[in-house]
Amino acid sequence: MKPAFSLVFFTVSSGAGLGLLALAALVDLFAPGSLPAQALWRGALLGLALLAAGLTSSLLHLANPRNAWRSFARLRTSWLSREATAAGALFAVGAAYVLRVFGDGAGPVRVLLGLATCLLAWLVLVCTAMIYASLKPIRQWHTRWTPTNFLLLGHWSGAMLLAALACAYAPRAGAFFALATALGVAALAGKLAYWHAIGDAALAPTLERAIGVREGVHGPAPISVAHARLLDVGHSHGTFLTREFGFVLARRHAGALRVAVLALGFGLPLAWLVAGAARWQPAIAAAACCIIGLLVERWLFFAEARHTVRLYHGDPRT
Amino acid sequence: MKLGLLIDLDTCVGCHACAIACKEWNASSKVNGALSDYQPFGAEPSGVWFNRVRHYEVGDYPASKTINFPLSCMHCADADCVTVCPTGASYRRADGIVLVDQDKCMGCNLCAWACPYGARELDEVSGTMKKCTLCVDRIYDELLAPEDRQPACVLACPTRARLFGDFDDPESEVSRLAAERGGFGLLPELGYAPVNRYLPPRQPRPVLAEEDVRALLERGLASLASPVIRR
Repeated sequence: MKPAFSLVFFTVSSGAGLGLLALAALVDLFAPGSLPAQALWRGALLGLALLAAGLTSSLLHLANPRNAWRSFARLRTSWLSREATAAGALFAVGAAYVLRVFGDGAGPVRVLLGLATCLLAWLVLVCTAMIYASLKPIRQWHTRWTPTNFLLLGHWSGAMLLAALACAYAPRAGAFFALATALGVAALAGKLAYWHAIGDAALAPTLERAIGVREGVHGPAPISVAHARLLDVGHSHGTFLTREFGFVLARRHAGALRVAVLALGFGLPLAWLVAGAARWQPAIAAAACCIIGLLVERWLFFAEARHTVRLYHGDPRT
Repeated sequence: MKLGLLIDLDTCVGCHACAIACKEWNASSKVNGALSDYQPFGAEPSGVWFNRVRHYEVGDYPASKTINFPLSCMHCADADCVTVCPTGASYRRADGIVLVDQDKCMGCNLCAWACPYGARELDEVSGTMKKCTLCVDRIYDELLAPEDRQPACVLACPTRARLFGDFDDPESEVSRLAAERGGFGLLPELGYAPVNRYLPPRQPRPVLAEEDVRALLERGLASLASPVIRR
């Protein structure tokens, strides 16, 4: 798949924002007081801002954005429609929650708003992931590891931002470091499991399967096990299909980029969490490092995905 | 109703007439609007097509065979391109034809991602998704002679390798031929229930190597000559 930067930025930015929103609300619900109100509302506001930046970027991916307002029409079947609707609801609820915390209001309203913010943030994250995971023609996306990764990576980058906020405002940041470390290790495990899962090409569809020669031929001896190859693709200078789905990533580049993901997205931030100074300057650097690593990770998520239509263009398997 | 196409891989000669006829008819059709071309007279011409013909070689020499493979929308009975569409632009009609409402499409590409056959192409000029309409503006046009109420690709095919009909009607020509000759749908494992059917190609006969041809010719000449000589 062509790695569209608008979508790479969208999923990483909104993922971090949603993770931060959910974690901030959870901290407020289950450990009230561990993060001062000024850190809490700033965190929730930053989460909403990251989500807004991501959604704005996603609009750039649309070829006909003037019809974007119609995207709430198919809630019953479309994950994209569900995502748009849930994100809209989250903006309303999240803004009310930020105002409530900013005003230092307490009581059941704040609890309810916090709970709704957390649940809606999870819902948007799941919807975003399911847009990709529901696509059957893309083997590398149509796996349960896709939503697992989106959830874990969103919370991991959100936890890094929360740790930075804790460094700046909280009296004791140790618990936030422990939380981020746990989420980082889990996210790393999830990413490694995803790479392992997509590396298994045993069930990948083949060119022979796609053109149906395995369905047999009529005549004396079936060529049902015949080997097929592309002779001519029928067009001379590329099509929408080759531009959208024809992206090829050299294997050695994929390896180098995976190392970059491991180092920037996980290694350096985790090292800082374990051994670094709990001041806000290095905290922000570590969070930025994590997000840059996740941008590379998301670029790879697109670049390594191979759509079934590539079989018709001559790929022996996806 | 399940309107669709039956494509005979045995008789398709790969001439691309179906693809050209499709482009010609739909370029001026009101269903999808124009089919844009990018640099049509430039160095790298490209554009939107609903039907593309590719060519494959199956089997290994000498038992190999060229298969010409036209591919257009399968008008799937359970099409994910319809269900993933957030705006409601993608829809399936009661007669089985899958269409895109050009007034509602926002050009997000998600339906094209959901289609394993590459049947949908984004028009960069209009910013909307376009696809095969099964010539919905021909097949119901009562101003046309009854035999002309068929998709342009079907009418254009010089070897009659393409047939149009209702696969829900077991008595239709397409249903009967598909049943008789082992017609198959592409990638049924994805669960989209594609409607179009392909008739399998004939078994390839081995291509003869040069020395085999010479031996055959010699034997053939000898067998031709022997009755004359022995007389």
